[in-house]
Amino acid sequence: MTDTQTQPQHAETDDARSDLISRVRTILGRRTEGRAVALLSVVVVITAITEPIVFTSYEVTLGRIALIGLVALGLTAVILMGELDLAVASTLAVSGVIMASFESITIGILAALGTGLLIGVVNAFFVIVVGINSFIATLGMLFFLRGAAFVISGEAPVRLANVDAGIAFGRPLIGPLSPRMLIFIAAFVMLHIFLTRVRAGREFYAVGGNREAAHDAGIPVTRRVFTGFMISGFVASLAGVINTLERTAADPTAGSAVLLASFAAAIIGGVLLNGGRGSVFGTLLGASSLGLLQVALTLSGVQVDVQNIVIGSVLLLAVITDPSSLRAAAGSMRALVRSRSGP
Amino acid sequence: MNVPDRDAAVGSQPADDRVGGDDHPAPIIEGRNIVKRFGGAVAVDDVSIAVSPGEIHGLLGENGAGKSTLMRVLAGVLAPNEGAVWVEGRKLDPGDTRAALDAGVSLVHQELSLVPEMTVAENILLGSTPSRSGFINTREQKRIAAEALEEIGVSVDLDEPIARLSVALRQFVEIARAIARKPQVLILDEPTATLTPAETTYLLDMLQRLAGRGLAIIYISHRIPEIFAICNRVTVLRDGRHVTTVDIEDTTPEGVVEFMVGRDLQLELETHRVDPDIGEVVLSARGLRAPGVNDIDLDVRAGEIVGLGGLVGAGRTELVRAMIGADIRTAGETTITRDGITKRIASYRSAVAGGVAYIPEERRTDGLALSMPVVDNITLPNRHALSRAHVLQSRKIVDFAKHLAEVVNLRPPEIHRNVGQYSGGNQQKVVLAKWLGREPEVIILDEPTRGVDVGAKAEIHRLIRELADNGAAVLVVSSDLPELLELSDTIHVVRDGRIVGTLLRDQADETSVMALASGQTKVDAP
Ligand SMILES: Nc1ncnc2c1ncn2[C@@H]1O[C@H](COP(=O)(O)OP(=O)(O)OP(=O)(O)O)[C@@H](O)[C@H]1O
Ligand SMILES: [Mg+2]
Repeated sequence: MTDTQTQPQHAETDDARSDLISRVRTILGRRTEGRAVALLSVVVVITAITEPIVFTSYEVTLGRIALIGLVALGLTAVILMGELDLAVASTLAVSGVIMASFESITIGILAALGTGLLIGVVNAFFVIVVGINSFIATLGMLFFLRGAAFVISGEAPVRLANVDAGIAFGRPLIGPLSPRMLIFIAAFVMLHIFLTRVRAGREFYAVGGNREAAHDAGIPVTRRVFTGFMISGFVASLAGVINTLERTAADPTAGSAVLLASFAAAIIGGVLLNGGRGSVFGTLLGASSLGLLQVALTLSGVQVDVQNIVIGSVLLLAVITDPSSLRAAAGSMRALVRSRSGP
Repeated sequence: MNVPDRDAAVGSQPADDRVGGDDHPAPIIEGRNIVKRFGGAVAVDDVSIAVSPGEIHGLLGENGAGKSTLMRVLAGVLAPNEGAVWVEGRKLDPGDTRAALDAGVSLVHQELSLVPEMTVAENILLGSTPSRSGFINTREQKRIAAEALEEIGVSVDLDEPIARLSVALRQFVEIARAIARKPQVLILDEPTATLTPAETTYLLDMLQRLAGRGLAIIYISHRIPEIFAICNRVTVLRDGRHVTTVDIEDTTPEGVVEFMVGRDLQLELETHRVDPDIGEVVLSARGLRAPGVNDIDLDVRAGEIVGLGGLVGAGRTELVRAMIGADIRTAGETTITRDGITKRIASYRSAVAGGVAYIPEERRTDGLALSMPVVDNITLPNRHALSRAHVLQSRKIVDFAKHLAEVVNLRPPEIHRNVGQYSGGNQQKVVLAKWLGREPEVIILDEPTRGVDVGAKAEIHRLIRELADNGAAVLVVSSDLPELLELSDTIHVVRDGRIVGTLLRDQADETSVMALASGQTKVDAP
């Protein structure tokens, strides 16, 4: 019976082994970052021609990418499990405000990061223990935290007590890389390793791909969802800390533009909203494209509202050109050509 | 499938309520007085079961009898309301999947339980990924996965995502996963529902080999011959209650069926149609090509039941889907003739508008809204008939759904319950009911009775015949040979996307169909 049932499979893989090109193609076919690569190439080429200044003033560009990217990385962990965290931008704002309301910068940072973790725990509690849909639960959290940020700050930006630390933080540390960039890179590397090499992280994919199967296989689903929301909350508050340090003040309205962009970065990067598919590498590519795009548009004097129109369109385009539907379309086109020209 | 001849008297054995009799070695797994309720409904009612090493224990019962629920309790997926599970004399924590796995209880679920985007190797070691201080040991992962696949004799690329495998291969990956956990108790819930006869035979041999090495196996199937081919003992459930546990030598197929249904099943239902009244061609394909489908000419006439036989993966599903425009076709065309007017089928929409009802193979994903009640699922494709000036008439809807639920013998017949809460076989009945309600001109059924119990199967066969008697053109895809032979007036055997032979009812038998399907002979269409 193995013959009848595995023969086609055999044939396919044997051919693939003998043929390097098709092997490469198989590997590429399994990747999810196709759209992000395409978009990034297009954006790079166009900006290189029209706004080369984007690359010469790379500090600005990299800073932008790091801001979107950091939040998007945390989001990726949650979306991979088929959940949403709409509260990230508000978490960013509230943790910034909390940090600035402490005299000591160290205690401020610790309090801010602790807040981020706590928000993650509360989100996960509502989603997995109480059983509220994560869209609704984190939407509630979004408003709650935004309100809290205004109340704590007294509805005005809070200046950092220790302004010098903030200024020192903004300076490049290694070569052109500012501490913000370095933290972003570190977060990216750690999350990448966590999601591909660490057992608990890899199990995020199982939780998102087929939660019932994950549970039945003995994976502690509840714990994984808690971890995911905590990562997202922590990373968002980290972004809040960095933001506050760089601006030497915490603004309760901070990050309102980040929510859309970071979601878009993850989705363009190939992370499936239903969970189970995607990678932080894709998210990084998505964030880079959007960051470049935003800076290029700003430098060419495009209004913020128009920028949002562009980002929205790119996001829609990314969803329409989902690689799995593209692959299906390409397959049928090829079959069409073959059957017309063949005997 | 060969049924060992057993000439014991039918159903004359006294119900045997002993658990682990004296002549059996000590049981390794025991469920004692298990009770499981869902809301108010009792799914499993005070059932005990015990299985010894080396034993293959069959578990039988109608759809909704509580088989899957009982097994999910044994495997720690569900916590029982009363009673407990004991493995090797130790009581397991109720509802602790991990503890059950660690104790060596491995369950192959009725519905596929794999993660589609993860690779074969990852799925085989899901939940027990080998790791060193948290980091995945990829080499070890692949080694164990390869070993498990080798043990069951199936070869497949370890890095292939599950989503790209055929349904049958997925089933074997799932079994490999159970094996990789080095279980002491292996529970299989209808593993053969998606397999062809050849694959089934292979699986059954494999299970006997495993039992020979001391594994305790619990085996659920609606196919009685399989039970008699491999099981040492059987337990029969009915309406959540334990009916009997008997040694296989002490019973007969008829006897078990009687235990299952609690009455004498009208086996006379299982007969051919006499003198079917076959009319004009209604559904017709000419030179049809599509991915996996090669140059098909096919006609289905009014009042005729046409069967498509062949192995899983032969291209039958692709063929019917291309025919009705549900998938892309690359050449050729199909037409539907109604009241003397012939129309091209350009898309799935036009097929449905032309009176085609299509019941797909993957019922859970393609055919049902699991979180909606039965009544909504049944009435979904029938909204036009049930509304006046676009307003749905609720009384009419409920009556309509109730009638259909009765027709397919849905159990329990509560049409306001969510479909997701029904047992696997009953979900299949809801899909059928949904499409039968339209009294279609053309009805296409892909594996119509997969996972359906004997009684309901006979009922569904009767329904299909009735539809044909009323003039519908029927096209059936089935890997269940007896079913195909019993239903079809004409059988086309498909291999590699081509029709390799056509057999009329009186020419066809299991051997001739299998020979064609596996490519051993070639018969020209008469
Ligand atoms: N999650 C659930 N919620 C409510 N009722 C349920 C649930 N799961 C199962 N049931 C009910 O429990 C009973 C037993 O179902 P079970 O799935 O164990 O049947 P089964 O014997 O495996 O049937 P089949 O042969 O169709 O697979 C059925 O009446 C079913 O409707
Ligand atoms: Mg079942």
